Amino acid sequence: MHEFMHDPIEVTVSFCGARVKPTSITWNNRHYSIPHVNLVHNTLEGQNRIFYFSVSDATNFMKLRFDTSTLSWHIIELYAE
Amino acid sequence: MNKIIMHIDFNSYFASVEQQANPHLRGKAIAVAGKAGGDITRSVVTTASREAKARGVKTAMATWQAKKLCPELIIIPGDPQKYAEVTARFLIVCNKYADAVEQFSTDEVFIDVTTAADNYFGASMLALMIRRDLKAACSSVCTVSIGIAPNKLVAKLASESVKPNGLTVVRPHEVADFVKSRPLADFCGLGHSTEKRLAEIGVTSVETLRAVPRAKLINLFQSHGTWLADAAHGLATDILEDDNAAPKSIGHSYTFPHDLHTLPEIKKNLLAMCDRVAWRLRQQKMVALRLAVYVRYGNFGSDGCSKLLNTPISDGLTISQNAWALLSPHLNLTRGIRLISISVSEFRTIKLPTSLFRKDQKMQRVVNALDTVQTKFGTNAWHRASTVHTKFLERTSGWHYDHLAMANKS
Repeated sequence: MHEFMHDPIEVTVSFCGARVKPTSITWNNRHYSIPHVNLVHNTLEGQNRIFYFSVSDATNFMKLRFDTSTLSWHIIELYAE
Repeated sequence: MNKIIMHIDFNSYFASVEQQANPHLRGKAIAVAGKAGGDITRSVVTTASREAKARGVKTAMATWQAKKLCPELIIIPGDPQKYAEVTARFLIVCNKYADAVEQFSTDEVFIDVTTAADNYFGASMLALMIRRDLKAACSSVCTVSIGIAPNKLVAKLASESVKPNGLTVVRPHEVADFVKSRPLADFCGLGHSTEKRLAEIGVTSVETLRAVPRAKLINLFQSHGTWLADAAHGLATDILEDDNAAPKSIGHSYTFPHDLHTLPEIKKNLLAMCDRVAWRLRQQKMVALRLAVYVRYGNFGSDGCSKLLNTPISDGLTISQNAWALLSPHLNLTRGIRLISISVSEFRTIKLPTSLFRKDQKMQRVVNALDTVQTKFGTNAWHRASTVHTKFLERTSGWHYDHLAMANKS
């Protein structure tokens, strides 16, 4: 199952030096821990920088979007086995 | 002094990046194709994973054909932002080790390591170091094939000769034999039509190509004949092109989710595309003198034409009006428009003179203000009222200007 969405989520992160690592998310009142951050990339929408975190657990892949202008997190992609 | 040129090529690039991002895709037959939210049956495979390639799935194959060949194939829509960032990291690593770098495409570069490596043994060591750094900087899943040779043609042939994860070194005295062992189809610059024409005169291999007199090749292929005669002996340029050179043309093509059959639909899409082309043109601070437009019909027939304009252009509406004037006499709506391509070229960096007419002056001020808005808020910051419902789905390459603008600034 591969879905695209734009749902707001709450994210807990850890700071490792200059890097930010999502460790868990809360989405639709459900808590998911994030053991693996596989790829982080960023882009610009105008002058607004957006970070994307490609993360996974044992059964799900999720792509998280962090908007640095609003400090908001969204889940934008879900792939489940 | 003989140069040492290295060609580095990612294996199954987009698919490998997707497998890096999503570990659940690793070891599976996947293909990157189409656009998120789009109809994948109208797309072609941009990249197939190694597993998919083993099942016969090839680049540029229609997705329905790929699915027929490999029913378990997982099709992933392209994510150009992701690939752009991995490519940027790739270039950083290459620049660290090279005297000069020429980006040949999203996933391949030529690098000149003549001074950095000193000799072919040093070049092999550099290749291993680059491979190690790419693994750390880009992805543990992505692999690269590397070719090292005295010129670009042979370096590319060398990297293509061992895939995936190959490292092939062709020293100057080995060039002639190595080139002889490669099929003509592997030569970069020798396309299907040339191969077909060569076959008509009995040339099907490098050995038979060498036997054809240079004068005959020039007679048949003009300047390309000289290139063919040289290529048969592994002779080619070792000069890397400057990546910072101004573009020679700017354009876009787009395959629509469904064939377009009405004039308003076609005009709106053409205008929206022209606005994007114009924005990129103005980002380069250039105006264009040549316009080319091309359409592909639902039955895969096509029409296209280009024109040298009397006055330079840089705004979307003018480009669209000129494009429509060029295109409309040829359009055959009953066949349905599957794809439109628009491009501008013959650039000048002159500042356009201010118009005598107040209406045009006002429009110029509006365009300038909108450019400021787009610079700050991105390409999709504004739309014309007539194109507000015209949406372009993001695809593997293209429609991704903000990120490119960022890369240019950095």
